Amino acid sequence: MGPIRALAGAITLSAGLLLAGTAPVMAAQPAPELALQLASKQVNLSDYKGQVVYLDFWASWCKPCQRSFPWMNEMQAKYGDKGFTVIAINLDSERKLADSFLSKLPAHFPVAYDPEGESAQAYKLKGMPTSYLIDKAGNLRIAHQGFHVEKQSKYEQEIQGLMAE
Amino acid sequence: MKRKLVGILVLMGVTQLSGCASLGVQPWERDLLAKDEMALGAEGVDLGLDDHIYFSKEATSGGRSFAGGGCGCN
Amino acid sequence: MQLKNKGTVATALAGAACALLGTPAVQAEEEMLKDWKFDTAILYYGETDRVSLAEGVISATKTNDDDSLFNVKLVIDTLTGASANGAVAQPYAQTFSRPSGKDGYVVKPGETPLDDTFRDTRVQLSGSWMQPFADTWRGTGAVNFSREYDYMSLGVSGLLEKDLFMRNTTLSAGLSFQFDSIDPVGGKPMTMTSMLTPTYNEADDLFDWDDDYEEGENKDGSDSKTTTDLILGVTQVINRRMLMQFNYGLSVVDGYMTDPYKLVSVVDSSGITQDVIYEGRPDSRTKHSFFWQTKYALDNGVVDVSYRYATDDWEIDSHTIDSRFRFNLGDNNYIQPHLRYYQQSAADFYRPFLNQSDATPMYASADYRVGEMTAYTVGLKYGHKMENGHEWAVRAEYYQQDPKNAGFDEPGALADLDLYPSVKAVILQFNYHF
Repeated sequence: MGPIRALAGAITLSAGLLLAGTAPVMAAQPAPELALQLASKQVNLSDYKGQVVYLDFWASWCKPCQRSFPWMNEMQAKYGDKGFTVIAINLDSERKLADSFLSKLPAHFPVAYDPEGESAQAYKLKGMPTSYLIDKAGNLRIAHQGFHVEKQSKYEQEIQGLMAE
Repeated sequence: MKRKLVGILVLMGVTQLSGCASLGVQPWERDLLAKDEMALGAEGVDLGLDDHIYFSKEATSGGRSFAGGGCGCN
Repeated sequence: MQLKNKGTVATALAGAACALLGTPAVQAEEEMLKDWKFDTAILYYGETDRVSLAEGVISATKTNDDDSLFNVKLVIDTLTGASANGAVAQPYAQTFSRPSGKDGYVVKPGETPLDDTFRDTRVQLSGSWMQPFADTWRGTGAVNFSREYDYMSLGVSGLLEKDLFMRNTTLSAGLSFQFDSIDPVGGKPMTMTSMLTPTYNEADDLFDWDDDYEEGENKDGSDSKTTTDLILGVTQVINRRMLMQFNYGLSVVDGYMTDPYKLVSVVDSSGITQDVIYEGRPDSRTKHSFFWQTKYALDNGVVDVSYRYATDDWEIDSHTIDSRFRFNLGDNNYIQPHLRYYQQSAADFYRPFLNQSDATPMYASADYRVGEMTAYTVGLKYGHKMENGHEWAVRAEYYQQDPKNAGFDEPGALADLDLYPSVKAVILQFNYHF
């Protein structure tokens, strides 16, 4: 069973290496600029400077993304008029898949379309969905990989924290 | 036997290394792979029924998942 | 396994249909976030002149908010009909006793002896829990229990999976342990001993036993076996359209693997049966399997091809190629041809019959299922997604087994008889998913 033990060792080692890189709080750095193609117009991410932005990367085929929509709507409703906005960047290569998703889970916040995934490339996404909290100064402050329902209140506290700055 | 095992591990290693290099997709490029019918165990009920038939009619079972036992089928 | 994103596309498409028909969005949202999914199926398997099987499956899967999955599955099947008892055909009628030792049956001249006693119902219940943890790990625990008239099986298994390289590579390791017990009808026969047979009295259609016959005199009790399986696997995403899996499986079985209802004929030099004995198989078996599967997404379909090589210390080597080609016809329909080819070599103890002049071997089985054979399956499945998001499918397949002579001489009368008849079966299935 020597080889099996070696394999187990390899698995454990690689696990350790991967787990090391998932801390959500990051050193503040300017959020890379993005041109956002909304349904009706094109804007820049930097246009939202002065607001706290919850920047969410999603796709119609991603299961946790489905669970994040009701929560993002709730956050938008709660804080949308207090200097906060959700911006969701859709990465579906086919627009009709995104539209079909939104017809069932309507978004009450700006949705940008990036079928080529250029924004995802710029932000070097490690998983789907990935979300970033951007402070009023336009700096990336917190990153989340995946969407965990049980962490919703923690996410909300982070938003409140940045809004209070 | 031992040679076979070593062979497997080498193959696993190669697959793993190539994972670093050029194989694979970015996380946002999984639209096709995320389809139900692209799951390796898609149509699990069919696979289970087939396994039961072939388990009881042929001398080999398993491979995809556990070979198991579970029936004294004729 | 990391790609099991159940229902996403299905519900998305269903939702599109709903939207077109003006279904309220609330209902669509509920459908999309629905956490329980049900897969049901009924299957009919029927062999020409032999066994037929009806099987029903209900599988329920719950997806939790943390992406953990709970599955519970119930399978019920009922088997009737005749299966080959292992004895060779003879130019004259043959009489065999039923497993109960109370009655007998007669096989016509030139026909492969089939025992039509079999009638059994099996109930199988299994459950599993898959839990993701630490972002890139998944652990699965499963239990299963199955019960039929003369058989009971209990198993537990665990599987650990680890995603690497942005989930492009997944390593998996699994272990399963199964305990099976068998309580043969009429008792477990002593292997390689003669079957006691009654004489058929044609005039009053009765089977008469010798005066000194005692029911169950060379049969005794029940037995069991244990199966331990180890599986190591790698799954690799090749590109946006293709993924591959490679598994190595080790299976160690200890205990009673003899089929208590199977027989072996002992013939003389002219091929005439002198004795019929109960078969006997070794009580340990170690199998290795190498399984490779690849799936490729077409613009309007999926190609799924797998190959399995298995080898064991019974000297049975097998090759299996299994392929499914799914073609989508629009958004809501698909057809899927299925092709499967199987080939196995004979177990080292396989004997289509024994020669009276040879010493009785320690083990022998004439069960064609451990002999040399090839088999193929051709099938077609048609699936349809309804406006409410539910799906149904029908599947029709043809399965044929062609046992082969693994190099045994056929003395005298046997040369003129078909000792390796093909087994032909149809499979019909209906699936409903909601």
